[in-house]
Amino acid sequence: MVDNRLIDELRQIVGNENILTSKISLETYSFDASPYSGRPSVVVFPTTTEMVANIVNIANKNDIPLMPRGAGSCLSGGAIAPDGSIVISLTKMNNILEIDPLSKIVLVEPGITNKQVQLAVEQYGLMYAPDPASQNISTIGGNIAENAGGIRGVKYGSTKDHILGLEVVLPTGDVITTGNIHSQVEPELDLTYYFCGSEGTLGIVTKAWLALSPINPEVKTMTAIFGSLEDAGSCVAEIIAKGVVPTTMEIMDNTVIKAVDDYLKLGFPRDAEALLLLEIDGFPSDVKTQVNSIINAFASNHALSYKIAGNEQERLDLWKARRSVNGALGKLKPANIVHDIVVPRDRLALMLEKVAQMAKKYGIIIGQVAHAGDGNLHPTLYYDHRIPEEVEIVEEACDEIIKETIAQGGTISGEHGIGIEKLKYMPLAFSKPTLNLMKNIKDAFDPKNICNPGKLLPQITED
Amino acid sequence: MKKDELLKILMNCNRCGMCQEVCPTYRVSHIEANVARGRNRLIRLALENQLNLDKEPEVEKIINECLLCKACEDSCPSGVPTPEIIASIRAHYTNTKGLPLGKKIMYRGVFSNNKTISLVRNLAWIYQKCGINKLVKFTGLFNKTDEMLPNLPPKNVRSQLPVLLKVLPNADHRVAYFLGCSVNNFFSSIGVASIKVLQENNCDVIVPEVNCCGAPHHSAGDMEEFKRLAKNNLRMLNDLDVEAIIFDCSTCGSVIKDYENLFTGDEEYEKIAAQVAEKVQDISSYLISIDFNKNMGTISKKVTYHDPCHGIRFLKVKDAPREILKSIPGLELIEMQEADMCCGGAGSYGIFNPKLSRDILARKMENFKNTQADILATSCPACTMQLSFGMKIHNLNCSVKHPVELLVQAYEIKSL
Repeated sequence: MVDNRLIDELRQIVGNENILTSKISLETYSFDASPYSGRPSVVVFPTTTEMVANIVNIANKNDIPLMPRGAGSCLSGGAIAPDGSIVISLTKMNNILEIDPLSKIVLVEPGITNKQVQLAVEQYGLMYAPDPASQNISTIGGNIAENAGGIRGVKYGSTKDHILGLEVVLPTGDVITTGNIHSQVEPELDLTYYFCGSEGTLGIVTKAWLALSPINPEVKTMTAIFGSLEDAGSCVAEIIAKGVVPTTMEIMDNTVIKAVDDYLKLGFPRDAEALLLLEIDGFPSDVKTQVNSIINAFASNHALSYKIAGNEQERLDLWKARRSVNGALGKLKPANIVHDIVVPRDRLALMLEKVAQMAKKYGIIIGQVAHAGDGNLHPTLYYDHRIPEEVEIVEEACDEIIKETIAQGGTISGEHGIGIEKLKYMPLAFSKPTLNLMKNIKDAFDPKNICNPGKLLPQITED
Repeated sequence: MKKDELLKILMNCNRCGMCQEVCPTYRVSHIEANVARGRNRLIRLALENQLNLDKEPEVEKIINECLLCKACEDSCPSGVPTPEIIASIRAHYTNTKGLPLGKKIMYRGVFSNNKTISLVRNLAWIYQKCGINKLVKFTGLFNKTDEMLPNLPPKNVRSQLPVLLKVLPNADHRVAYFLGCSVNNFFSSIGVASIKVLQENNCDVIVPEVNCCGAPHHSAGDMEEFKRLAKNNLRMLNDLDVEAIIFDCSTCGSVIKDYENLFTGDEEYEKIAAQVAEKVQDISSYLISIDFNKNMGTISKKVTYHDPCHGIRFLKVKDAPREILKSIPGLELIEMQEADMCCGGAGSYGIFNPKLSRDILARKMENFKNTQADILATSCPACTMQLSFGMKIHNLNCSVKHPVELLVQAYEIKSL
């Protein structure tokens, strides 16, 4: 339990201006972007690695649960504070410590937002490839914890493919540095990888060396309209099969098209069943060939129409549309659950169709966006959390979606993480020996189970 | 707004956090109580009876720490109108507890009445000129609020009108100029410039005897007084035979343009408000619409433009003031980072929330310094006051000007 003595100790570490203890201020740290909530005992805002280590030491000594927090934009409940926990907000550790454009490396603190990193390196013709839809606010620390993917993920991969090394405060209070910042080749057990996607359960990242990628000279953004989700899904599979790797392939269904158009008024066709948003980058000659190949795929998959963004503003508008999906859908119902299932690319069309059928079967609204290029679907289920029957129906529908995903050879989380939301699905997705191994790894890093307990790993029952 | 309505729009917030990027109070404090989704969370709990608004002073403080800059609403994918929600809760506080004494004296006692406001101004001018202020500063009596007051001009604009207003029988346009309290009393050079620039562009200008627009009362939740002032102004403005009502103060302009919403359900005033709103024009936009006179002298300086919240997000004015600045020969316009982020002035915000206000101001001044401009231009007297204060406390020897002040200067150089 966090008592006054502990509060005083924490206050001494971070200073009076970097600690919150009042009931009201703690209330504002009880949530993230998921439907869950928790009750922290105190929130601290360390500004140095040493402070983080000292805080962790106190927690470790007194068996107090810890919750590292960035922007608090987690969709699966990963940033929900365990009851009685110390929330370590990394938002004041938000500096860029070094940019090395020659080696294409940037060293950052965990609380900086993804977008601020992009802005800082842009002037060197570079980008940080992972670009989650929340990039304007989500922090690098949070991106690492969730192994965030993003809209460019189909071509560039996810966070783990762009982290060269980390400084981490372990749950025991020890500080380690992982990785080899001048090469992505790891000669030994690759510790960096463990932290990518660990959802704050293995330690607290206090510095990160990020690998940057060159911005390609030419970009083309296209949209195509389809009469069915199935056509859009097949089109995506065909484009990839032909050897074109767009940086983006996003499918939006009718529910999403309408919600986004209400918000941005971009004149999307409101009766379209599916919209495919595509972006390709490369050298001009290369881009031209890709565009032709894509246009052919549009035709052979019955696209009703297509459009190539004529200027930068049109391109930015399309992107804004995609990035606003999560929020714009908020208007439909007071609560929603968004999943991030992944299926093999050739099952994408089928899965989109199956989810659409489930919406009809359960009589609920399900909006669908998909990072179609890597088979990552985002069905979002809308409900009113104040009506118990609606909550029940939505839960039932979620279970069915997950089971169908696994039946199609897919997996339960592409990028949002397991958090609290998908704990119960872990035994469906992973075998017992696999879960046991994960548990042993967790124990090795965090013997007292104080670092973000209750997330990611389900309680394993003996049978 | 009624409780049910409030609750319904609050439900649209799905806590995605996009407001963190643009909320000035969050950007300087990094705490969730200082961003729209945190504030909305607390209000929602109160409306669901899980918190008692009237018994939680900390919640009241958080509600009062919002700048009402509207940046969150504009970037909110669910379009949650947080400023409106906050204003409703402030109105609730004012209804149940009355205005705090300081605000009451300042708003109802001073801003509500043109005569008192000029009297107070004159006293303050004497105070600054006779040297008592230095003594007071020495005693630390007013702490730093004293420094926020700009150097006052010797005369307000209204007393200069007989000399300023020309008879232009062959004018191309006939317009009313809305002389707001701040410009009239604290920044008379802006008002003088507005009138001169309009006349230079062949506009016959009339200056009606209006009241305070009510912005201070609105932001403090004093809806009763706000409505009274609004009705007076509407009656005054509706009868004028003019093609436009011109504003050099973005706040006055946007408040008056929005009177319509204040009188929802009151058919008579709703109609008048709609008619008046049609004629509201920010001065830069108006000048561009009449293809203003470009026969100007040279001002060899660098300038950058700060967007007042009421300009960019309420009146939706972005390019016009920049076009005016770019039209002046020799004047180089350099864009600053975060030009549209609130300066922390927000009316009397700085007096009641000094720490947050100054942190936000420091960020603005840093962005200004990075442009290496000589002049910081803006179209709002409240911003002008805050930014000038910023120049003072950050030891910058640069000036804050309204675009029309630079324009009139360029006209005057030419005619020399």
